[in-house]
Amino acid sequence: MQPSLLDVEHLGKHFPGVQALHDVSLTLRAGEVHALVGQNGAGKSTLVKCISGVHPPDEGRIVFEGREITTYSPKHAYDIGIAVVHQRPQLLPGLSVTENVLLGHYPTFGGAIVDRKQGIERTRALLERFRLDIDPLALVAQLAPPERQQVAIAKALYRDAKLVILDEPTAALDAERSERLFAFIRDLTEANVGVLYVSHHLEEVFGLADLVTVLRDGELVATRPTGELTQDEVVTLMAGRRLEVVGGAGATVAEGRKTALEIEHLQTDVLHDVDFDVHEGEVVGITGMIGAGGHEIARIIFGLDRPAAGRVLLAGKPYEPRGPKQSIANGVFLVPEDLARDGLVPEMSIAANVTLVDLGSVTRYGVISLARERAVARRLVNELSIATSSIDTPVRNLSGGNQQKVLLAKALTAEASLLVLEEPTQGVDVHAKAEIHRIVRDLAAQGKGIMVISSDVRDLLLFVDRVIALRAGRVVGDTAAADTSYAQLLDLTVGAAGAVA
Amino acid sequence: MSSESGTGAAAVDVQRRSLLDRLRVDIYAVWPIAVMILIIIATALRSSRYLTVFNFENILSQIAPLGIVTMGQAVLLISGGLDLSVGYNIALSSIVTGLLLEHGYPLWLAIAAGVGAATGVGFCNGVLVAQNRAHPFIITLGVSLFLFGLDTQLTGGAPVNDMKGLYTAFGGNLPAGFPFFGLPSLTIPFVILILLAFAFLRWTPLGRRAYAIGGNEEAAYLSGIPVKRTKIYLYTIMGAIVGLAGMCLAGEINEASFNLAQNFELESIACAVIGGTALFGGRGGAFRSLQGVALWGIVQNAIVFAGLSSNYQQMALGAIIVVAVMVTRAQR
Repeated sequence: MQPSLLDVEHLGKHFPGVQALHDVSLTLRAGEVHALVGQNGAGKSTLVKCISGVHPPDEGRIVFEGREITTYSPKHAYDIGIAVVHQRPQLLPGLSVTENVLLGHYPTFGGAIVDRKQGIERTRALLERFRLDIDPLALVAQLAPPERQQVAIAKALYRDAKLVILDEPTAALDAERSERLFAFIRDLTEANVGVLYVSHHLEEVFGLADLVTVLRDGELVATRPTGELTQDEVVTLMAGRRLEVVGGAGATVAEGRKTALEIEHLQTDVLHDVDFDVHEGEVVGITGMIGAGGHEIARIIFGLDRPAAGRVLLAGKPYEPRGPKQSIANGVFLVPEDLARDGLVPEMSIAANVTLVDLGSVTRYGVISLARERAVARRLVNELSIATSSIDTPVRNLSGGNQQKVLLAKALTAEASLLVLEEPTQGVDVHAKAEIHRIVRDLAAQGKGIMVISSDVRDLLLFVDRVIALRAGRVVGDTAAADTSYAQLLDLTVGAAGAVA
Repeated sequence: MSSESGTGAAAVDVQRRSLLDRLRVDIYAVWPIAVMILIIIATALRSSRYLTVFNFENILSQIAPLGIVTMGQAVLLISGGLDLSVGYNIALSSIVTGLLLEHGYPLWLAIAAGVGAATGVGFCNGVLVAQNRAHPFIITLGVSLFLFGLDTQLTGGAPVNDMKGLYTAFGGNLPAGFPFFGLPSLTIPFVILILLAFAFLRWTPLGRRAYAIGGNEEAAYLSGIPVKRTKIYLYTIMGAIVGLAGMCLAGEINEASFNLAQNFELESIACAVIGGTALFGGRGGAFRSLQGVALWGIVQNAIVFAGLSSNYQQMALGAIIVVAVMVTRAQR
């Protein structure tokens, strides 16, 4: 047996208020594919960040090729032969493949003038070595996503990486391209490179990896050869014990209520025959892994995308919004996933952000009534208990949880009858999560239909009435929250069971 | 802001820091005024002719057309846009009016045509900016070059030298009976525009949308704001303001020509930025931009009083822009 390439020994890492990793150990040998699996928040990315030098660990140590790593910086990690390919490769689209691969290490004449010819030759040789059919002179902007991924890997390998970490590499790839990536990974192991493969697609893991390590809540659950486990067993390991469901109002809520939203046979590149209803006063959770289609459904409902086939009914009437303006006018409101980027105007005050969706309601004869605006904002700040000293505070000064509440306040000003929330509790603390749960329940009690798209299944089960499970663009489960469990949903969205349904 | 309550020994320290904080905030907001006062005192000590009504009237009439344009430019900057076609668009409006006057058309018609032409250019800017993903910098630069050609073509390179009724209106000082009696006539449109810009940004939905689009265009779009239409409105309004500035400038100096308002595009952007308007949108205001305009006028005038050549004006103004950007950075 080969000596170990990477040894992670009793690693611990905490962030303010969170123990992200606790006593995690892991060994990886050259020429081996080691899979790292776990639910969102299990600590996968923190572990990757420790190994790749982004975060220094608080406890334990990392030994690479027999030497303990003492300098923690991404550059140092790269220098000693650890290369990370992130989920979304960081490339410069305006430059050529060669320039991206050789960035910072371009061959030169005497350090001053770029040796273009040699640079291209080196890149060509590298690409050929791994049977990549990519033109070294092509601009990265012209490449398809999987090719970009390969360029990112080539870039990582240019300086003879001994360990390659791939973080969810197939998230943007279709089946055929994923196959090509797998063949490529096998070539890497032939070349005696060690691969740490982070994924939640268990089929891939079982097709590719020699060993699988399962993390849960920052702790190591098990490391086993893939041959000794079944996918179901891994799902059970990821989920841990069956969680008690605190639950929403139960399955009976929909009985006798009118439908707020009907989705009929939606079809797009990503979605396949998606069909479900949301009733008035009901909170419906939609869950699935990254790329399962929840985000696409939200975009269609809000008029940002159009389906190739199928239709959407709003309160029983066909509904084809041309954009957010029409959607809001029809009583639909979307709270987007990335608040800082898509949701709020950071420089503007809480008051101005809250009334932005419906300036008409605070405007008389073409003039905004600041008094009226302040009254609206003050009422909502109290109602949603947004923690701030003043409604004039720019929203950029608020915490994530409070920013989320400002967006919910916008939904209230918009007088939406259907709310679509994307990852509403992502990145907020436990207290803020509970408050957001309460607000969502309150809104449902007022008769609004609410759709919550979230990849955090455990959190979702705490406050929704019904859960719809998505897997690769298909609905694979639609059950009352009280009748399902975390493990069951995980099995549907990740495990083998979902493939059948 | 942080709470100012402190207990025990820490209280003194907290108080001292908060005082300093307060002082710093003040400096950030009003540094152009502070610099202006220093310049005024320094120049007044050197020259007895400086602190006269006549001199300040002179500054006012000199700065009014630029000030008017700056109000519009500030609104565009706040919305994340800008207009580089200002200079030759001012010229276009003056030329259209001047040529019509020359051919004996009535004053009201000539003014309507001049302002209308500039507004039309603004509308075109708006449509081009709204429909393209290209930066308004390059689009309005293209429009500016186009207008330069159009302006010289219309005049054949020779200026119109008699603006007739327009000169009567804007060339002198306000007669008795008017508000601001005795001040330059341009004071009236200037003051009106400052108040309009202030009210527009503070109290109108369109002004609010300008802040939202400049602050986060994606969030504005997802909030149901008609982003494209708003941009078209804002550039069209800018066109009308430019037309007004064209009438003021042509009337004041009794001339219409292609180089009537050279550098106005960059100077108006500079004035707005000196006043604290963000170059990439989302922040700023009418009175803040006005501070920039005032500083600009005071510095130009003070350099003349210092007996220095106009080359020093350029150097001083350039330095002020750089300082302004540094102050804005430090503030954040």
